Amino acid sequence: MRLADDLSCAELVELVTEYVDGALDPCDRERFEQHLVVCDGCANHLEQMRSTIEVVGRLEEADVGDEMAAELLVAFRGWKAS
Amino acid sequence: MQTVTDTRSEVETETYVSSAADLRTVEALRAGDERAFMELVQTYGASMLRVALLFVKTRAVAEEVVQDAWLGVLSGIHRFEGRSSLKTWIFRILTNTAKTRAEREGRSIPFSSLAPDELELGEPSVDPDRFLPDGERWTSHWASSPRRFDDLPEGRLLSSETMGIVLRVVELLPDAQRIVLTMRDIAGFGAEEVCDALGISEVNQRVLLHRARTKVRRALEDYLEGSPA
Amino acid sequence: MIAYKFLGEGGTARFSRFTWPLPGAGRYGEWVDAHPSVCATGIHACRTADLPYWIDAQLWRIELDGDIVEGTRKVVAERGRLVDRVEAWDTDAKHGFGRACATRADALAGSLPALRAYADDAAVFAEAGNPAVAGFVAARLAELTGGVESYESERDAQVRWLAENLALTA
Repeated sequence: MRLADDLSCAELVELVTEYVDGALDPCDRERFEQHLVVCDGCANHLEQMRSTIEVVGRLEEADVGDEMAAELLVAFRGWKAS
Repeated sequence: MQTVTDTRSEVETETYVSSAADLRTVEALRAGDERAFMELVQTYGASMLRVALLFVKTRAVAEEVVQDAWLGVLSGIHRFEGRSSLKTWIFRILTNTAKTRAEREGRSIPFSSLAPDELELGEPSVDPDRFLPDGERWTSHWASSPRRFDDLPEGRLLSSETMGIVLRVVELLPDAQRIVLTMRDIAGFGAEEVCDALGISEVNQRVLLHRARTKVRRALEDYLEGSPA
Repeated sequence: MIAYKFLGEGGTARFSRFTWPLPGAGRYGEWVDAHPSVCATGIHACRTADLPYWIDAQLWRIELDGDIVEGTRKVVAERGRLVDRVEAWDTDAKHGFGRACATRADALAGSLPALRAYADDAAVFAEAGNPAVAGFVAARLAELTGGVESYESERDAQVRWLAENLALTA
């Protein structure tokens, strides 16, 4: 990349979330990807962020218990009748 | 355990209006179809509870919030015009209900005004010491490469210990960051859906998400590198 | 349109992390639509002039179809299929490319210590079999010594090396 287009690693790490969301404009996205071609450090950092997202994603959802589902059904019937 | 985030579909194609399936569900609800309602409850109930818990203190209150939200959905269903997805509409009702309840209980509302310190503007995502200083040939490049998480010994990244660390970090996040992270990365909401539900801009949503993920990443890195190999 | 595509080890694209279906005996790889499995914006590929910017482990020829948009440093198409592998892009070629970059960098740097450091970097990356970075460093050195024109010259030299040594025809 030319100096004018250059993205430093310190700048890149601020853009990771936008990149992963597909929110970078095409020009910035290309600069980001161009940088990754020549920078293992940033490639590894991006992987760390992706793994982080995956790990967070495994925190469990609270279940809708049977009791709550039953209460909601009662509420629905009440609404229907009104 | 469910992996909710598909990290491969990263260039998201958001649906901003109701799908055909949504409209069928709405028709069924209007006709008083119990099964359709219970299916909806099973689809969204767990996420609604989790989101409600981000605003109110106890599970009991969160359950009440969810109940109230469903009543709100039912009483408003005849007004639903299909200009947003059904999910977005339901969650907007939920978050409004949760905010009202939180207000009544005297809790601060995380999004009523996003202070610069919640967005942590100007905070570097990575310790500046990790990069080469000014005057170097490769100024601002990594002084040493970070180590990947995906080549750790099998099971290390998803061990109960690691999950415990992650849970703790998430619980300690500032409210606004915790809510966005939970909705995006645990409950699987798209960016647009979160913005709609919480009434915040896409930019702010992304900044909050970035801050939150950054903290978790750092905690993971510290933990994974600090422990014996 | 026939173009080129670099893939990582194992035939996986670096950015989309999509594993491309490979060509088999007497047939091309299957057609892949960009959306939804790869990338909503399209299949990315290189013209010969784009190659130095995207260097990776494996080099393939790819056939592109549908709407094709020619960008500054890549082409983007609605769908693509792998045609065959450019076998000439092997370990020797990667080292050769790197060495050529390092040699030009060495000549350009002369004896100025600040510039020599870049030339030494290029040599280190070339030796380590990292052609992408060797090329990047050589181009950076060229720009520092002679501005954008020199940068483009160095990149052109890199393209010519690839075209000649890999017998590229597309």
